Amino acid sequence: MSGEQTDGYAFDDGLPIEPIDPGSTVLVAGPAFSPAEAVVRSLVMGETSVEEGSLFISTSMTSEKLLKACRRTNPSLDTTLTGIIDCSGQEPKPSEIDAEVKYVSTQSDLTGIGMKFSALYESLYAEAVDGRVRTGLISLSSLAMYVDLRKLFRFAQTLSGRIDSAGGLGVFAIDPTTHDERTVNTLGQVADGRIEVREYDGDDEAIDGELRVQGLPAQPSGWQPFSLS
Amino acid sequence: MTHRILCVDGDKDASEDTAETIRSQLADLDPVVETAGTLADAEALLGTDTDVIVTEYDLSDGTGFDIVSAAEDVCPDAGVILYTDTDPGTLDTTELRGAITEYVGKDSVFGEERLADLVRTTIETRSQGSYPMPQTEAERLAALQSFDLDDEELIESLDRITDLAAAHFDVEQASINLITEYSQEFLACYGEAEDWETMDREDSICTFTILEESGVMAVEDVTEDPRFQSRADSLIELGIRAYMGANLITSNGLVIGPLCVYDDEPRSFSPAEKAYLRDLAAVAMDLIEYHTQLRAVGDIEEADQ
Repeated sequence: MSGEQTDGYAFDDGLPIEPIDPGSTVLVAGPAFSPAEAVVRSLVMGETSVEEGSLFISTSMTSEKLLKACRRTNPSLDTTLTGIIDCSGQEPKPSEIDAEVKYVSTQSDLTGIGMKFSALYESLYAEAVDGRVRTGLISLSSLAMYVDLRKLFRFAQTLSGRIDSAGGLGVFAIDPTTHDERTVNTLGQVADGRIEVREYDGDDEAIDGELRVQGLPAQPSGWQPFSLS
Repeated sequence: MTHRILCVDGDKDASEDTAETIRSQLADLDPVVETAGTLADAEALLGTDTDVIVTEYDLSDGTGFDIVSAAEDVCPDAGVILYTDTDPGTLDTTELRGAITEYVGKDSVFGEERLADLVRTTIETRSQGSYPMPQTEAERLAALQSFDLDDEELIESLDRITDLAAAHFDVEQASINLITEYSQEFLACYGEAEDWETMDREDSICTFTILEESGVMAVEDVTEDPRFQSRADSLIELGIRAYMGANLITSNGLVIGPLCVYDDEPRSFSPAEKAYLRDLAAVAMDLIEYHTQLRAVGDIEEADQ
């Protein structure tokens, strides 16, 4: 199926990242107070005019809070092709959001997360144009507090495999400051490339941070400023 | 390399249909596809070389999750795909925490085509494995198979290298290990390592060593390393608290396994010590390559006579 798609996944103009090939998974690495998670949300919600599916695995944030965060940078967000696996452990509340939400009671239930992800992916794949689905996992660091590295690696590798086989795009967030370097390097093996994110120290208020792409072909080199709004 | 796929479904026609679709769509991989109608039959067919299990959830004598648990013991690297009518939202997955299972709905609009895609990815990328693999894994395994590693004289020579390593590092155990498709084999050993038996690759430290670009990996204390913490107790039982491995790299740049030394106390290894083990590993690799070349020449001369 991945062979059916040839166009890379494109991003909003404010992000200095060239389209990424279908079937790829990237790790977005940045400390907790950097805009790394916002970059993941923006990469997954993509270009708003494109009818692609967006699927989030949200480990700590409820589905409502996640969508609220997405709308901060994209107020006109259309969530009809959005799915969320809410692993926050909080009781589902009646909601007006039109995204499809599936709940998993604890982050340690990787089997439950994986199976609900698979089922939701299938349904988004069926509805999205050309089966194009972007997946955001926010975050690996949060899951690492509940399961050991081997289980987490296997989980991330399985997600990455499904994304590869379906020609999707995977974007996994990690906070490298909370892990041993060996953990980050091991988890990095499931991804095709890495996007490092850091805060911006300059005076230009239009700039939200800086990012650097590594391991992906035909991308800008070095640190590049970006804007999320 | 033979790929083994097991299809489990109480509906015999359904499992045969699934098997036939996989055979047809993965014909280029020439897989061995077997079918089973019950949990018991499936368990009997599981082998260490099973690559993928495609199973219905409801079975007459158990569930697809029971097969996941059985596979964890017999073939931990195998991928499991639940191919079922059952809604995943109705399944209690809490018992299986950590075990990863893919799901494909039988009523999905993609049906068996999607399933075959996923089986292919699972085989080709070992996507449900719990450890990273070298990008040149297929070439690496082919290189490993090309060597003549059963010869007693060769093993004796390699044993002398592990003796030298143990003496130099003042440790009780040393070994030359081979990383095969699913396991770690002990080719030459010193000390109690001589009693060690084949272990699953997912339990092996060396499966990480073969990924090291520098060719050498040191672990000062397995209890402090996130990659090995979860099995530190069983490693310590073997006398492995600290570890250093240097890769045996073929003349084509492929790693067949490492030469390792093990200490039962935490310790660090200096750059000079790493260089020394790297040199010994290179000597071991030279011995293996020369031996295989000599054997090949001998075979040709024998054939000529």
